[in-house]
Amino acid sequence: MPAPFDVHQTNDETKLTIRRSLDINSAPALADAIDKIVATKPPRVTVDLSLLDLIDSSGVAALVKLYKGVRSGGGTFKIAGARDQPLAIFKLLRMDKVFDL
Amino acid sequence: MVATIRLSVPGTLRYRPIAVRTVAEAARLVSGAPPRDPKSPNFDPLAHDVRHPFDTAVVSAFMEIFNNIAIHAYQRKGGGRIEIAIALSKDSIVIDVKDDGRPFDIDGVAELPAELDDDSLPEGGMGIHIAKTMLDEMTYEPGPPNQWRLCKRLQATQVAVGRS
Repeated sequence: MPAPFDVHQTNDETKLTIRRSLDINSAPALADAIDKIVATKPPRVTVDLSLLDLIDSSGVAALVKLYKGVRSGGGTFKIAGARDQPLAIFKLLRMDKVFDL
Repeated sequence: MVATIRLSVPGTLRYRPIAVRTVAEAARLVSGAPPRDPKSPNFDPLAHDVRHPFDTAVVSAFMEIFNNIAIHAYQRKGGGRIEIAIALSKDSIVIDVKDDGRPFDIDGVAELPAELDDDSLPEGGMGIHIAKTMLDEMTYEPGPPNQWRLCKRLQATQVAVGRS
């Protein structure tokens, strides 16, 4: 079974791929990865959600934390591939514009 | 005709996936959304199949209420149960969720900021807002037992093709 997320880092881009469900049970495991990404002050972060089926408010909070950390380090942040339930949640919370969806 | 499904789980997050999958499958019985094709090359048996707008609304709201009970009512310590009754009709779902934990101050939940920017993006307090907005009706009666009622109707435009 693949891990619920993985991080792929190149010179100019950090790509975080999250699978299945980002929720109150899986978000804590992601928190460490988020802290590590933010600490490197990456110039460009893309979060690939094309394999993400479900998100809850804890998952959204984790992404907001990553977004704020990357932006405060001077980097750009983009969410790619959001669909179905996660996309509906971002729109409901009016985060689709902030997250550059 | 109304069919009722009952589920009783210990009040901790460990049992959340069971409850969420049960609610997702129950919602699908109303929406008629077809399941993913197991013969598809990308088929993942552990994926959560929540794509229909009705299923999306019901599951999104339920996940937040379950979180709320496990965290606020039972303070992440468990010690009580979460009783879930799902009533299905051909075009609606009503989910009653009861717990014996601490009552929740639903009136104390802050609204989302009117304008979202880098500074005002919230990192918490979104759960109740998501649940309320996704549903047609949500009520909460502090207890014990505390009682949540989540209601969603299937809109005519949302009826999936091939529904039986």
